[in-house]
Amino acid sequence: MLALQLLVDGILLGGTYVLIAQSLNLIFGVMGVVNLAHGSFIVMAGLFTAWFTETTAASPLLVLPIVLLVGFGVGAVLQPLLLERLVQHGRRAELLSLMVTFGLDYVLVELALQVFGSNYVSIPYLQSTFTVGGVTVSKALLVAGVFGGALAALLHLGLNRTPFGKALLAASQSATGAVSCGIDVGRMRLVAFALGVGLASAAGVLLVLVIPMAAESADSLTILAFVIIALGGLGNYVGVAVAALLLGVAQSVVGFYFGGDAENVLPFVLLIAFMAARPQRFRRAA
Amino acid sequence: MNPPILRVLALLAVVLAPVFAAPAKGADAPIVIGATISETGPLTVDAGYQIKGMRLAIDEANKQGGWLGRKLELKLYDDKSDPGTAVRLYTRLITDDRVNLVVGPYSSGITQAVAPLINKYRFATIEPGASLPDIYVAGNKWNFQGTASSLQYLDELLPIAQQHGAKTVAVLGLKSAYSLACYKARLEQAQKLGMQVVYQTTYSLPQPDFGAIALAIKNAHPAVVIGCTYYPDAVGLTQALHDQGFAPQFLAETIGPVEAAFGKAVGTLANGIISNTSWWYNYRTPGNAKFIAGYKAMFHEDPDYHAATGYSALTVLGAAVTATRSLDQEKLRDWLLHNQVQTLIGVFKVNADGLSTEFTQHMAQIQNGAIKLITPPDLAEAKLLVPYPGT
Repeated sequence: MLALQLLVDGILLGGTYVLIAQSLNLIFGVMGVVNLAHGSFIVMAGLFTAWFTETTAASPLLVLPIVLLVGFGVGAVLQPLLLERLVQHGRRAELLSLMVTFGLDYVLVELALQVFGSNYVSIPYLQSTFTVGGVTVSKALLVAGVFGGALAALLHLGLNRTPFGKALLAASQSATGAVSCGIDVGRMRLVAFALGVGLASAAGVLLVLVIPMAAESADSLTILAFVIIALGGLGNYVGVAVAALLLGVAQSVVGFYFGGDAENVLPFVLLIAFMAARPQRFRRAA
Repeated sequence: MNPPILRVLALLAVVLAPVFAAPAKGADAPIVIGATISETGPLTVDAGYQIKGMRLAIDEANKQGGWLGRKLELKLYDDKSDPGTAVRLYTRLITDDRVNLVVGPYSSGITQAVAPLINKYRFATIEPGASLPDIYVAGNKWNFQGTASSLQYLDELLPIAQQHGAKTVAVLGLKSAYSLACYKARLEQAQKLGMQVVYQTTYSLPQPDFGAIALAIKNAHPAVVIGCTYYPDAVGLTQALHDQGFAPQFLAETIGPVEAAFGKAVGTLANGIISNTSWWYNYRTPGNAKFIAGYKAMFHEDPDYHAATGYSALTVLGAAVTATRSLDQEKLRDWLLHNQVQTLIGVFKVNADGLSTEFTQHMAQIQNGAIKLITPPDLAEAKLLVPYPGT
C-alpha cells in the first residue's frame, strides 16, 4: 500500500511537472530558443492567480483559461518584438536568444516583485482529501496533476493529429523542409512561443494550488523544466512527459526514504548521470 | 600646463574628491544608521516586520528630537536574503556610506556571514534577527544578541505534550543557521525527556514538494511534529501533511504561523498550529501599548514579534548612545556589555560574549483564525487546544 501511495503521489507531482516542461520543450523544439524566462511566466501567472482569487473569491480553475489566453497573447507580442528578429543572425540566434531571455527573466521577476511583492503565496483551495483503496489523495494535487497532464496531452494530440500541429512539428524538425512544403515557419515560431508561454502560465495557475510560490521561485522552476526536458530528450514530447512523471515518482520515493535534502538534489544527480551515460540525448532532435 | 595634463588632473580631482572629502557629519547632521534587510527572497515576510519595527522606532525617536539632539536617518539596502550580498552591502554601508551606527540584518545565517565584518570594522551592533547562539562567541565581540536564542524555540512544547500522553516525535529542520540549531535542540530535548524520535529530516529552500516528507511522517505516526521553519516551508509542510491525510496530536512550526500571511495561505489548516514568539500584545513591558498603536497607525497592519524585536534593537542602541553621549564604538560596546535595557521583548542583558541572558520565547497557537498566547500561564490568553484538527 505504501508503494502505491508513493506511486500515486509521484505521478500527480509529475503531472504538474509535465506541463512546466512541455511548454518549454515546445518553444525550444520549434524555435531553437532556450527560454530562460520560462519560470518567470509560470510565477507571474501563479502570483496573479493567488491575488485574483483572494480578491474576487473566484475559483482558480475559472482563472485557468483566462490566464492561458493572456499568456498566449503576451507570448504573441513578445516573440516578434524580441525573438523573431534574432533569426536573421543564423547560427548565432540560439546564443542571442539566451541573452535576450536572460534579460527578459530579470525584467519579469522585477515586475512580479513590484506588482505582487516578494512574499510566498499559496491558495487554500480544495483543502480536503479522499481515500481510495487505502491510498490518500489530495484533491488539490489531483486537480493540479490531472489538469496539467490533460493540457500536456492535448498539446501532444494537437501536435500529432491536426494539420496545424503537424506543421509546427515539421517546422521544429526542419525549417528548410517546412518552407519547401509551403509552411510559414515565421508564423509557426510565433505560435509556438505564444502557446509555450500560454501553457507555462497555465502551469503557474496549477502549481500555486499545491506549492508556495514567490517571484523568486522563477529560476528554480526554469531549472526544473530544463532538467526534465534534458532527461526526456530535447524536442521529444513523449520522452519529456515520461521523464516528468518518472521524476515525480523518483522524488516521491527518494524524499520518503532519504528526506528533503536528497529529494532536492535528485534531479541534478539524474541529470549528471544521464549526461555521462547518454550525451547524445542532449542534442536537439534533428 | 598643456591641455592633456589639465584633463588628467581634472579627472583625478573628480575621482579622488569623494575619497578625501570629509563626511558630512557636523553637529546638526543626522545620525545615519545603516542596515540591510531581506526585501526580496525567502526571508521577506519575517524580515519585513523587523524593518518596520525599526522604522517605527526611528520615527518615534525623531519626533522626540532624535538622539544627542540629532535626527536619525536609516540607510537601508536589500540583501536579497543572501549572506554574500549582505556582506558586500555592510561593507558599503561602513566604508562608502560611512554610517554612524549599524544594526544587524534579519536571520542568523545572514548575521553569521556579516559578523566577522562587524568585528573587522569594530561597530558595536545589536543583532535583532540572529537567534543562533553560535554567533555570540569570544571572537565576535562586537555583536550583541537582540533576540531570544534559537535553542529556546518551542522549548516549552515537548514537556507539555508529554503531559498529554505524547510519546513520539518527528522533527524537521530547514537547513539554515537558526533552524538547524533549533532542530538539534529539539531532538536532544526529546531524547532527554525519553520521547521516541520516530522521524527526522532536514531540507533546503526552495523545497519543490513536501509530499514525500509528509508521507514519511504519516508512516512514522508521531504524536508531535515540530518544524524548525521559516514562512514558506511552514506553509508547504502544513499543506502537505493535510494532503497526506495526517494530523498529529501536536503540530508546531517555529517561524511562519504567527504571520498574517500564513492564515491566508493555508486557510483553516492553520487552526491548532502552535508556534513561538518572543513578544506579544499583552506583554506588560513599558511602551508596549504605544508600540502596537504606533505600528498599526504607521503600517495599517498588526505587528509581530519580529517587529517588536526590530523596534527593541533601536531602543537598546538609543539607550547606549544617550547614556554614553557618544557615537564612539568602543564606548558603546563597553556600555552594552555592562548595562541592561528594558525593551518591549524583555530585558536586554548580555554575557561577556554578547549572548542574551534574559530574552525568552513563549508559545502561541492559532485558534479560530486568531493567534492566542498559550504560555506563560500568567500571560496566556487561551488554553492549549489539543489535538490539532488538521482540517
